[in-house]
Amino acid sequence: MNYKQKSHLHPDLLNPAAANLDPDKLLGRWINTNWETRGIAECTVAREGDDINVHIIGVGEDGPIHWPTALATPLANLEEEAGQRTPAMTATFDLGFMRADTHLRINKGVFVIVLFATFLDDSGRANYLNREFFYRHS
Amino acid sequence: MSKPQYAQLSDHLEVDPITHIDPKSLIGHWINSNPDTISIARINITEANGKLQLQVFAVGPDGPIDWGIASAEVFAANPASSTGAGFTCTYDFGFAEARFQAMIMKGLLVLAQFHTFKDDSNRASYFMREYYAMTHEHFDQ
Repeated sequence: MNYKQKSHLHPDLLNPAAANLDPDKLLGRWINTNWETRGIAECTVAREGDDINVHIIGVGEDGPIHWPTALATPLANLEEEAGQRTPAMTATFDLGFMRADTHLRINKGVFVIVLFATFLDDSGRANYLNREFFYRHS
Repeated sequence: MSKPQYAQLSDHLEVDPITHIDPKSLIGHWINSNPDTISIARINITEANGKLQLQVFAVGPDGPIDWGIASAEVFAANPASSTGAGFTCTYDFGFAEARFQAMIMKGLLVLAQFHTFKDDSNRASYFMREYYAMTHEHFDQ
């Protein structure tokens, strides 16, 4: 079997149950813990058939901005600090003038979105990254 | 000139065009904080011809594995900043792809890795997140 690091040979990668690939823990509606955010107000992760879709609502000047829904790629989590093995996912949002590459995961019960924004227009804005925290809407 | 489009208030601004994001804070030799890692032990980050470059040394079952050099894209902390705060990078090995999203946090480099297999091994795609500290030690393997 080909490999480029030891973890490529981890036996759990061939065992779906052990790989903890089930994204169900990430499903739901998540609200930003920062009420004054200038970024993402909320995020909904939903299963639709075999797909996992992510919908983000950004904070706008005149009200919420609904981003186009993105298809998520669920990922197993082999190991993380403090023994956490919560699944993670990636999703890429195509907004036309900007592409947002994200990864989403749960850390100690808090939903985390890490965003890498690449501007595709000629606005001169710098490509940037951001990280925000969300709690589960009950 | 019309205001640029935005997806969240934080990118709703007009700026003097930023033509280069300074990667200075990223450049150096980074070592994994976990000596028992089963993943990437060390990363050399350099700048060549205006591009950020990575050289990764992973832990293999029989010793270190040099992944070679790959170009990375630098990201700032906000759309008006010209200071590098992180990067993205992809290594394509043919049988698998490793994508990185990395950021500086409290002086550490936090590296998120996304591994996807393209061969017929039926291995699951997976995620890893590890911390790296800047070291003055130079390493080439």
